[in-house]
Amino acid sequence: MPGPDSLAGFLRLVRTELDLELTDRDAETELAALPGWDSMNLLRLVTLLESGSGRRLPVPTVLAARNLREIYAVLEEAA
Amino acid sequence: MTTTTPMERLRGLRAVGELAAAYHRVPALLAELLDEAAPADRDALLGRAGRLLAGLDLDEVLHHHPATQMVTVAITGQSTVAGLVDPLTAELARHGLLLRPLIGDHGGWLHDLTDPRGQLLPERPDLSLCLLDAETVFAELPSPWRVEELAEAAERVLERLARLAAEHERLAPGLLVLNTLPLLRRHAGQLVDHASRARLGAVWREFNARLLRLTERHRSLVVLDLDPLTAATGPVEDARLACYAQVRYTAPVLAGYAREVGHLTRSLTGLTRKCLVLDLDNTLWDGVLGEDGPDGIAAADTLRGEAFGAFQRTVRQLASQGVLLAVSSKNDRGPVLETLRSHPDLLLREPDFAEVRADWLPKDGHLADIARQLGIGTDSLVFADDSPGERAQVRFGLPEVAVLPLDGEPALHGERLLADGWFDVLRLTEEDRARPEQYRLEGERHRLREDSGSHADFLHQLGVSVRIGPPEPHEYPRLVQLTQRTNQFNLTGLRLQPGDPAAVAEDAGRLLLAIRAADRFGSNGLVGALLGRHTPDGLLLENAWLSCRVLTRGIEQAVLAALLAESRAAGRPAVHARFTPTAKNHRAELFYPELGFTETARTEDGVLFRHDLECPPEPPPHVHVTLDLGWPTDAWAR
Repeated sequence: MPGPDSLAGFLRLVRTELDLELTDRDAETELAALPGWDSMNLLRLVTLLESGSGRRLPVPTVLAARNLREIYAVLEEAA
Repeated sequence: MTTTTPMERLRGLRAVGELAAAYHRVPALLAELLDEAAPADRDALLGRAGRLLAGLDLDEVLHHHPATQMVTVAITGQSTVAGLVDPLTAELARHGLLLRPLIGDHGGWLHDLTDPRGQLLPERPDLSLCLLDAETVFAELPSPWRVEELAEAAERVLERLARLAAEHERLAPGLLVLNTLPLLRRHAGQLVDHASRARLGAVWREFNARLLRLTERHRSLVVLDLDPLTAATGPVEDARLACYAQVRYTAPVLAGYAREVGHLTRSLTGLTRKCLVLDLDNTLWDGVLGEDGPDGIAAADTLRGEAFGAFQRTVRQLASQGVLLAVSSKNDRGPVLETLRSHPDLLLREPDFAEVRADWLPKDGHLADIARQLGIGTDSLVFADDSPGERAQVRFGLPEVAVLPLDGEPALHGERLLADGWFDVLRLTEEDRARPEQYRLEGERHRLREDSGSHADFLHQLGVSVRIGPPEPHEYPRLVQLTQRTNQFNLTGLRLQPGDPAAVAEDAGRLLLAIRAADRFGSNGLVGALLGRHTPDGLLLENAWLSCRVLTRGIEQAVLAALLAESRAAGRPAVHARFTPTAKNHRAELFYPELGFTETARTEDGVLFRHDLECPPEPPPHVHVTLDLGWPTDAWAR
């Protein structure tokens, strides 16, 4: 599975792979306020994104992210 | 037919809010998902299915499927354990079970599992999982450390774990599950000299060995050995997730751990599979008998033949521990029997199989026949076949059968057979080892029945004798296992836990009796049990179990008749009994009324009966009963 190449693609991936009900506006929503979010999701995302892109992500930065847009920014940075 | 994947169907059901109502279809969907997925993707897919299922409302599932067995599992450990919930949810769902997880405090395992007023124990978990890792020992060490200090720390941790096992046994009814601690390169590599590293390795393994040996002292303790598991899964941890998020096991390790716990739970809830049904051509031997002839098949001496020979050895190993074997083959029967009798390559011979079905009929029919002949449910069968078509036919016709996907690579047959612990039990008993012999005797009984004029005639010739009395301590494991395996004649669905027989034996107000049977063909061993409680109005029978192997021989009626007669002779006012319907015990619904019990109450927990003993039932004339209650006759005639 290749890594997402846009924020919309990233949100789509999060929606299907983490089984979350997200709208496009949820990129800025505080993670804890996303419906169905739990803290394990950040760790699942790390595994998922790394196995998808074959790249290593800076885990502390992902863990410190406040919303999905910030996680996507980490992904872009690592690209 | 639908072309969507099982995962898409699960998502579809969730999207329209029908997943809880469809929970009974989930095991078949997950079986299909595992069968279709590439081996490398199985765990990840199953974990994702688990996440979806973990979002279900338990009450809603139980509302739609009241007979679903919900399993309460306390999950705690040294590190973050939440990652275990998804795979465990999926593994239990594969078996039709419903997980109710209770998550402990991060790192607070000792408190979680020994505080009777904490968050976990008051919920009476069926299982307590305490996921330990190397940090359990290393957290005790100073910096820098030496091997001697590590040895002392390991000693302290072991003492703590031994106390935990004892306390948990005292406070909680369920099993405690610990695990061996994997030693990582980032630990061993901290020592630069090989002599110290060797000492570390020895100390570490002694710790794990002694941890495993704790199970010899504590009946309700299980220690999962992670070595074979991590040898198969690869990395134990991702150092970054261990460091930043205290996640010390990778997803594949947790998936394997969850799989073992799933099968452990199966065995505790009476779902252990009993019989392995094997295809022959390209499953048990190389080649196709009908096309290649007996000289053209091999299970030894050729490169591929050796692989089949190794698979036969693995199968025979399982059979030696009580797994019944049967054959389901699309072949002419004559050549199959001839081959099983005389082909020089075969390790497994005709007498090793409790049933051989070889003809051209559909295999789901074979399996149903085999189950009927052996007197077990089709949900006790595991079916191994290299042909995708035959597997699909059985999965469709009998979705409750566990189907093992073998393929064209015989070197992988053994691994596939053992990937799931379908035959796992808590403790193997002598009865288990003797089971294949028991079923051979069963065949002789069957022939006697066919030769007898009537069922009554057959029973008369069978010469059944029954001995009832308190179980000997060495019989406790067998008794517990019997209650866990017995479904049809289990009058309330209750199953005993490993510590129960000893606890009941110590309680003067309670009663546990073992039922042992024999006939002219030999001993049936321990075949049943009664659990009771003394009340001011006489004995209350809390449950009765009888193995399906010996049902319809009048044993259950003879046991109750003897017990009622004894109560009457001792001048007790009555005998009470309880029946609680379960998914499988409907055949026993009329057991008490037919013996003259009258219904006194009907509650959510089932029906209560009372027998006033004025007119005890006539014992079946063909059964000889010896009753030894093991207490002074006036001990509870209050």
